Amino acid sequence: MATIGAEEDIRVVRSAPDLHLARLKSFFVSAVLICIMPAVLLAFWWAASTKGWVSAQVLPQPDWVLQTFLDLCANGDILAAAAVSFRRIAEGFLIGASLGFLFGLLIGKSKTADSYLGPTFRALAAVPSLGWLPILILLLGIEESLKIVILAKACFVPMAIIAAEGARNVPKGLTEVADVLRLRASTRFFKLTIPAMAPFIASGVRLSLSQAFVSLIVVEMLAGTDGLGYMMVWGRTLFQLDIVIVGMTVVGVVGFALDFVLKRAELLIRRGSGANG
Amino acid sequence: MNAFAIEHVSKSYILEGAERPVLKDINLQVGHNEIVAIVGASGCGKSTLLRLVVGLDADYRGTISWGNHDRTSASKVGMVFQDHRLYPWLTVQGNVDLAFDNTRLSAAERRDRTSHYLQLVGLADYAKAYPRQLSGGMAQRAAIARALAQEPEVLLMDEPFGALDSILRMRLQDELLSIWEKNKVSIIIVTHDVEEALYLADRVLVMEPNPGRIRDVVEVDLPRPRDRSDPAIAELKRRCLATLV
Ligand SMILES: Nc1ncnc2c1ncn2[C@@H]1O[C@H](COP(=O)(O)OP(=O)(O)OP(=O)(O)O)[C@@H](O)[C@H]1O
Ligand SMILES: [Mg+2]
Repeated sequence: MATIGAEEDIRVVRSAPDLHLARLKSFFVSAVLICIMPAVLLAFWWAASTKGWVSAQVLPQPDWVLQTFLDLCANGDILAAAAVSFRRIAEGFLIGASLGFLFGLLIGKSKTADSYLGPTFRALAAVPSLGWLPILILLLGIEESLKIVILAKACFVPMAIIAAEGARNVPKGLTEVADVLRLRASTRFFKLTIPAMAPFIASGVRLSLSQAFVSLIVVEMLAGTDGLGYMMVWGRTLFQLDIVIVGMTVVGVVGFALDFVLKRAELLIRRGSGANG
Repeated sequence: MNAFAIEHVSKSYILEGAERPVLKDINLQVGHNEIVAIVGASGCGKSTLLRLVVGLDADYRGTISWGNHDRTSASKVGMVFQDHRLYPWLTVQGNVDLAFDNTRLSAAERRDRTSHYLQLVGLADYAKAYPRQLSGGMAQRAAIARALAQEPEVLLMDEPFGALDSILRMRLQDELLSIWEKNKVSIIIVTHDVEEALYLADRVLVMEPNPGRIRDVVEVDLPRPRDRSDPAIAELKRRCLATLV
């Protein structure tokens, strides 16, 4: 008995590692590809700063920057700044994206609402978040509420546009089934509207978070007293370009990681919703 | 007393700015517990007619009245669409369960009914499968289970057995007849298969396209269970086909 089982196992096991190996290989290949460009940049930077092409005042050496990064990590400055920034993003996103979702649902579902509110919304949305900054500074000062409002606006617009698109894209055939079965409003919402919109909601979340991230850094640079963006401004006023570069790197890496994770999540949701077969 | 009556119903679609008549002066009275089959060339408006009856499209001339109540739509009308229209994000079981959403059945009763109807269409083993994991015929059967689970008083079926092999088709025709015998239900079934129409129905409407209208009404006055090779059926079939072509 045991031998027969073992023989069967061998047959199964033989193909499994091949598959794993192939997956591992493609993972490494893509990891290497991703790393090529940063490595080239790093080499160029290193050459430019050590060979004196650019003065160290403007472009500090990579190892100084690394040292600064480690110092900032050790004394908790970076963590504190990042925590402040992320809390702002979270607040702005929760407010902006949920309102954007509801608004998108409204103008996507109701033609009347769309003809009343749609044009105004699209006109206001065409003004970039930072275009609102001067007037909002006058209204709100440069306090916390300014940042939250800017971020909420940055999240609201993409979420509303995509949610409206999603609401218009609920398959008509499935809506007719709901009519024939006389589904209750709540069932209709949770078992038809939301699942049908799920891929759109996922894109909306991704887009609004990346919008929020970009706006946040700029807002903190222009009107901030803390956060990652402020840390970079502060470094520049001190002529500590190493701090600025650390800030840029952290922002870039975090932004990339955020986008990567959200893209993955979006893909999973798209698959799960069965929209692509 | 009729289950419902269609009187002088006409319908046109606007196509490229021009009005195109699709149904012209349709008259039909369907009695309680009657089975009516509709056959006709592709595009003659069969699906359109069912959509008007079930209330998905109110843009027509004429009247559709319901016998049981003094209202414009029946309390319980079920429909099997030509395409299965299952919700892709729900399991087969979840899809059938939608039929009970507007009822007061307990969770246990819902489960029992769901498995009963899935059993009936031969999908008991696929309760937990998602629609994308089903074949075309299986998806169609799941849609049939969903409509039957509603236990409607009027059941409209748009080519429900079109995607099935002939053995399964005959089995489901018999299942449909046994349900029809148990529950008092009026059925309109659209089909391309004249033999199916004659095997199931009390009356067969033969429709004609451009614009869609009823060309002939064939009464099938044969006792059930019917014999598929009955010469009387063959005779009626000849008459239907003569009208169709
Ligand atoms: N939404 C629509 N807009 C415009 N024309 C339509 C629409 N739906 C159907 N039609 C037209 O109405 C006619 C009848 O369509 P219908 O689907 O009722 O035909 P059918 O008898 O069910 O055909 P089949 O047997 O192929 O299912 C067709 O000529 C079609 O082009
Ligand atoms: Mg049709």
